[in-house]
Order: sequence, then C-alpha cells, then structure tokens
Amino acid sequence: MPVDTKRLRGPEESQSPWLFVEQEQQSPPDEREDGRRKGQVDVRPIFARCGLVSQAKGSAYIESGKTKVICSVYGPRETERKDETDMKFGRLVCTFRFAPFSCAKRCGWIQSTQEKDLSMALLGSLHPGLCLHRYPRSQIDVSVLVLENDGSALAHAVTCASLALADAGIEMYDLVLGCSLRQEGSDYLLDPTFAEETQEPATESTENRGGMMVALLPSLNQVSGLLCSGDLEQQPLVEAVAACIEGCQRIYSVAQRCLLTAVKKKNPPPDG
Amino acid sequence: MAADLRLPAPRKRSTDLPKEQGKHLVAPGDVITTDSGFMRGHGTYMDDEKLVASVAGVVERVNKLICVRPLKTRFNGEVGDVVVGRITEVQQKRWKVETNSRLDSVLLLSSVNLPGGELRRRSSEDELAMREYLQEGDLISAEVQSVFADGALSLHTRSLKYGKLGQGVLVQVSPSLIKRRKTHFHNLTCGASIILGNNGYVWIYPTPTEQNEEAGGFVTNTEPVPLSDREVISRLRNCILALSMHKMLLYDTSILYSYESAFHHQIKDILKPEIMEEIIEETRRRILEQEG
Amino acid sequence: YLHVALLFWQQVILCHCTLDDLRVDGRSCEDYRYVEVETDVVSNTSGSARVKLGHTDILVGIKAEIGRPKLDRPNKGCLEFFVDCSANATPEFEGRGGEELGTEIANALYRVYDNERSVDLKSLCITPMEHCWILYTDVLLLQCDGNLFDAISLAIKAALLTPSKIPKVQMMEDEEGTTEIELSDDPFDCVRLNTENVPCIVTLCKIGQRHVVDATLQEKACSVASLLVSVTSKGTITCVRKIGGGSLDPESIYEMIETGKRVGKALHAPLQDILNKEESLGKSREKVGFIG
Repeated sequence: MPVDTKRLRGPEESQSPWLFVEQEQQSPPDEREDGRRKGQVDVRPIFARCGLVSQAKGSAYIESGKTKVICSVYGPRETERKDETDMKFGRLVCTFRFAPFSCAKRCGWIQSTQEKDLSMALLGSLHPGLCLHRYPRSQIDVSVLVLENDGSALAHAVTCASLALADAGIEMYDLVLGCSLRQEGSDYLLDPTFAEETQEPATESTENRGGMMVALLPSLNQVSGLLCSGDLEQQPLVEAVAACIEGCQRIYSVAQRCLLTAVKKKNPPPDG
Repeated sequence: MAADLRLPAPRKRSTDLPKEQGKHLVAPGDVITTDSGFMRGHGTYMDDEKLVASVAGVVERVNKLICVRPLKTRFNGEVGDVVVGRITEVQQKRWKVETNSRLDSVLLLSSVNLPGGELRRRSSEDELAMREYLQEGDLISAEVQSVFADGALSLHTRSLKYGKLGQGVLVQVSPSLIKRRKTHFHNLTCGASIILGNNGYVWIYPTPTEQNEEAGGFVTNTEPVPLSDREVISRLRNCILALSMHKMLLYDTSILYSYESAFHHQIKDILKPEIMEEIIEETRRRILEQEG
Repeated sequence: YLHVALLFWQQVILCHCTLDDLRVDGRSCEDYRYVEVETDVVSNTSGSARVKLGHTDILVGIKAEIGRPKLDRPNKGCLEFFVDCSANATPEFEGRGGEELGTEIANALYRVYDNERSVDLKSLCITPMEHCWILYTDVLLLQCDGNLFDAISLAIKAALLTPSKIPKVQMMEDEEGTTEIELSDDPFDCVRLNTENVPCIVTLCKIGQRHVVDATLQEKACSVASLLVSVTSKGTITCVRKIGGGSLDPESIYEMIETGKRVGKALHAPLQDILNKEESLGKSREKVGFIG
C-alpha cells in the first residue's frame, strides 16, 4: 500500500454520517429526478469553455448539471523515458483525478486504483484521435481534475480533455466526445447523475443493469473508447452503445462552438 | 467451433527417451580428457593440463581438436551460410540486420545488387535512397560474405536468389536443427517455396511465377495470395513447427514427408500434441525407410 | 527472444488470411488454440490453477483470508487482484515495463469479477461490518504469447471452481460480549463458492476487415484495437472494454459483441467438463506441474 508521508493524515477510517441515512427514492416511472425522460437521448445541457488555466498550453472546463471537470494540457515536450516506440510516435500521458471533496465520500490524495483505471480508459479514448506521429520523441501530458462529481465524470472528462488538447494546438484527426449511460432493466438513463449511477436496484433480480461509457470521434464515426460493466443481454447492450453514440453527436455542436469562440478570442479581428 | 480444453499430458520421463548411443555428453566443469595431446576448441577450457567443458553439450573430435557443441546456441555463422534476417537499422552505407547471432550482422551498400545492374557505381544518391531499397523491419535473404574478428557477420545479396522477401510467413527454429545442404532454397512439389536459413529462420512463400521474378529485388506485390497457396503455406508452417518441437532436422525431404503425413489432418490440428506425435512418427519411419 | 515487430508485407498476408477465415496457423477466425488446464497446483493456496494457451502460461493462486468488509459494502466480502508481470515472461517486462500492463489487467479484472453478479460476495461475509473473507487472487504470467486476458480468466474461473479450501467458521460470543471466530476442525468442512456466474473473457482483435479470437503475438501486432468481452455461462455480458490504441467503427463493435458472446458462452461447458474429469480422476491422475 502506498503511504502518504507528505501530509497530516486523518484517522485511519472515518465516514460521512450521510452514508447511514436511508435514502428514499420516489420518482415517477418514466421520469427522472431532474425531469429528463428515461429511454430518451436526453443529455444535460453542457457549458464548456477553453483557456482558463493560463499556465497550461491548453485547457478546458466543462460543466454539465452539477458535474464540473477541468483539464489542462502541457507539452509537447521532450520525453523523459526513452524507448523505441517514443522515437516514432509521441507519448500521451493522462492523469485522471477526483478532487478530495468531489464525491459523496472524501477521496484520498493518493491516486486510487479507480482513478488509475479511469486514467487508462481516458488514455485509450483520446489516443486514436491524436496525430501522435507528428510528435516524435515528445510527450504530451493531459491532466483532468473532477471538481464535482455528479455522474458521468469519465465521459465529460473525455470531452473536456479533447477540448483542452485542441486548445493547446495539438494536431488531431477529430474531436473526441464522451457519453455515459445507465441501463436499468429495459430503460436506459443517458448521462446519468451520481445518484442514478449508484442507486441500488429496486428489486433484487432486476436483469439488464449496468453502466457504460462511449467515446466517439464524431465526424469519422469511429468509437475510440468503450467501457461497460454490468449484466447485460446482447440486444440492450447494442442499443445502449447506439444511444451513447447519438448522445455524443448531440454535444458535438456545443464543443465545436466552444472551440471556435476560443479561436476568435485569440485572433481579434484586424480592425479591433 | 468448440474450444479444445484438456488436462496437460504427463511429460515424458527421461528414462522413456531413446538412448543416445556412443555420444559423449558433458556438463560445464566436466573433465573431457587429461591427455595433453589434444587441442582446445570451442566450448572447452584448459585447467591444469585437463581439458574441461565450459558448456553442456556433445563432445566432438576432429583429429586433435576437441570441442563441445552446445545443446542450445545462437547462430554462429560461417562464410557461405544462407541466412534470413530482419533489417533493424539503416546507417551510413550499411544496414544492420538481425540474424539470430550474438551481434547484429552488417549488410554493406556495396554488397547489394542495386536496380540497374551489377556493374553500376554506388553514388551518393544511392546512399540517400537506402531506405527506399530496404527499411527497418524488412526481411531479407542473404549469404554470409565474411566474419569479423568479433564474430559479427558481413552479408551480401549479390545473386538474384537473394534480396528482399515479399509475402510469406517466417518461422523461427533453433539454428542447430537446420541441416546443411547444397541448397537452402527449395521449390517444394506441394506448391510453395521455402528458404531454410542456416540461422534458424525459415521463410515460407508462394512459389514465384516467372514474371514476378523479373521485377527485381526491391519490388513486392501486395496482391492477395490465393487461398489454396495460403493453405499450403499454413500447413508447411505447422509441419515445420512440429518437426522443430520434436527436434527433427529440417531439410527438404523431412519437410516434404511431414507435409504428406499431415495431409489428411486439418491444418489447425497439426499442432495438437497427439496428432503431432502421429505425424512425426510417420515422418521418422519414412525417413528411416528411405535411408535404408 | 521472439520479435514481434512485423514487417509490412507480413502484415499484409496476415490481413489477407483473415479474409477467407484461414489464419496463418490454420485456425479459423473463431478458433482457440488448445488449452491445457490443471488445478490445485500450489498446495498453500485455497485454490489454484495453471492454464497454458499456446505458449502463454498463466498461474493463478487464490488465498482466502479474513478481513474487514469495505465501508460501502458492509455485508459483502471482496476479491483483490494482483497481476505480476515478471521479467521472466519476456524481457520487455523488465524494470517498470510490466507494471503498466499489470495494473491494466488488474483493473480489468476488478471490473469483470469484483461485483455481485459474477461472484456471490454475500456468501463471503461472516459478520456484517466486522468480518468477511477476502479472496486474494494473484495472477502470475509465466510466459506471454498473446491473449493474456482469456487465459487469465480461464485460470481464475478454474481456480475458483476447484473445491476452494475456505473453511467454515462460526462466530462465538461469550458472556462479556466479545466475539470469537471459531474455525471448523474438520479440514474437509469447507465452503464451496457458487461459481455459476463467473464470466470468461473473450478478447477480439480487429485485423483488417475482420476480427479474430485468441490472437497470437504476431496477430496482435497487426491489430490496432481489440475488444474485451466477458460473458457468463448464460450468455449475459458483464463487461466490455476497448483496449489498444486504435478506434473501431460502430458496426464492427456490434459484430464483435455478437461473436464474443457466442464464443464466450461456449467456453464454459468444456471448462466445467475438464474440471469434473480432473476431479473424478482424483489422485490417480499424474500431476504435471511446471516442468515441460
């Protein structure tokens, strides 16, 4: 176990009292708590902005519902590790972190296995979208910090990271957009909130439950990332992937507009 | 489709193995002879008038010279050996070639046939265009031209039969399993050709048609190889793997016999232990018959 | 030392090979190499298994120990995974090289197994909030020849399926209110895990226009992306994950899920059969272990 020697540590085990409060769930059969409908491609409105972190080569911030993600990109710079693969292609390094206060339960400062897992999923999703062959012997660092996690953190992290990469001027084949989905029986909840992601099933034997994240290169129509766990039959699974792809397409225009605004800001009109 | 799961077959005990007759086997440190009249060869060292083995293997004696041939070895090339190798680096006026020997081999720009004939001068343009002829990852067949003092090999491809290899399949076996023959290029009657590199790299490729051969050493076609040819190649590949797993010497006859004994089996089944044994038995029998 | 770097022309022939459902080693796109399974190979474990798939060689040991349940799952036991990619397997794992792959595999295993649907975690709980069984699953890669995930999942399932030596325990409470754990004296009085729903992983590699299962190292080198699908014996899919640096078009993802489900579902019965056979042979079977 890695031990954090740099900070004062709290007690070995502590827990939020809210964990012990029984949560009541009463939502109408086909309506979700925030008024969106089940089984519809209904993503939360997205607010996105580029270039917030002035130190970074590129950065982006995304807010969707209460989920807030910030991402900054450093590089390309000379790689530290030198092996053969680095000579022809650039190396992409992704770090995915939850801020300690971002989730219901406080996260530690040390990167947990979950965060490592999500970092790898993020890397796998971004990798196909980048023209890494243009950056031989160099390294590009992407770090994503989730400020507040209200569900679909990884999906928004993917979108946010690709916006930040584009803002940094890294050559890309296409943007990478992410979308999450929660399957509950025959219904699916697109872009689920944290409560929807973690809720226990109403009945024990509900089949077809699971979570999914799809990353898409929208104009090439290629899936660059797929991460799904649960208990799904083939048919709902395929439908869920299709729904996620449609969800990604929905946020494409927002992401494009955000980038164009950033470009306009950087290049003021000649007369102004 | 059904996955073939099984319990591991009990391994053969050493007592079950056929007895090696008349062979002097040694382990490192074993004294081979105390007679000081012998000369020290590879795999041995002198210690107080005693000749001691430094590797595990078979003792071989040529007149007064004693050496030990190790049971496992990388390729020790000799002049005239046919090798199959992979370009690992393009340097000034030379290519580095990986040939399963201890050190990378060298192919000088002056030892290849460039398009336009044997007697052409090598110009500086040729030097710049080296990557167009051969680049990293390309496979070539070549002959050992000379051996450097440190054991590295210098190769040449100055014959039409050598050069860049096109479509085909590479099989890697132990170099000691390749039987030295007059020729290592074979157009097998079963419909494919084969290069048995002395370095243990075996290249199986569809038998070239006349017109392909004239295209010169550096152009290869990407036309799909017809299914029938690929079946032959796959079957040959598995047969060669089977032979090498059973430590049988590889040469045209053994390969052809194993190919024929494997013919009534499905290609993918050849590598299953029980079928492999059957094929090898049959091959062994036929080779013995032929040798009389 | 096997070179995985393939030259372009070899990639071409491998791609063509998938067109006609004939791979280089003669298998069709949905064929596995034969698999050797042996369980109970390490006596100190609660369950262990060794799986050989081609040259891929996996050893899994499961140790059951008593610990505290996790805070967010007070009435469930848990599984812990550790994957060791030692430099024994291939020199690429030397230093920190194996670490990344190790974490990647371990993380995938958490997703596949550490949930209520795969393993009955509730049965691993002894007293809620206080004591539960933690199954430490250690995966050792002895040799790598492609398709690690599938081989590992077969080994884990085999290790879980063997009569796991998880002893029965009882909680005793004395007058002062302190609890004691009492272990059953009878060594044969064991809990057997319900492993009906433990999934198997199928990795599908996209090569050219098609996808293949059980890709060898060479085939893997030709593919840009693969899809990992874990399937239970009932045919439900518990985990899907894209691995590798490339992307896939939606249509081929749907096809790959379909194939993965079909192939994965068909893996369970032969595995169960072979384990039943092994158990029925009991002590009469000659143990093979690690030699050979």
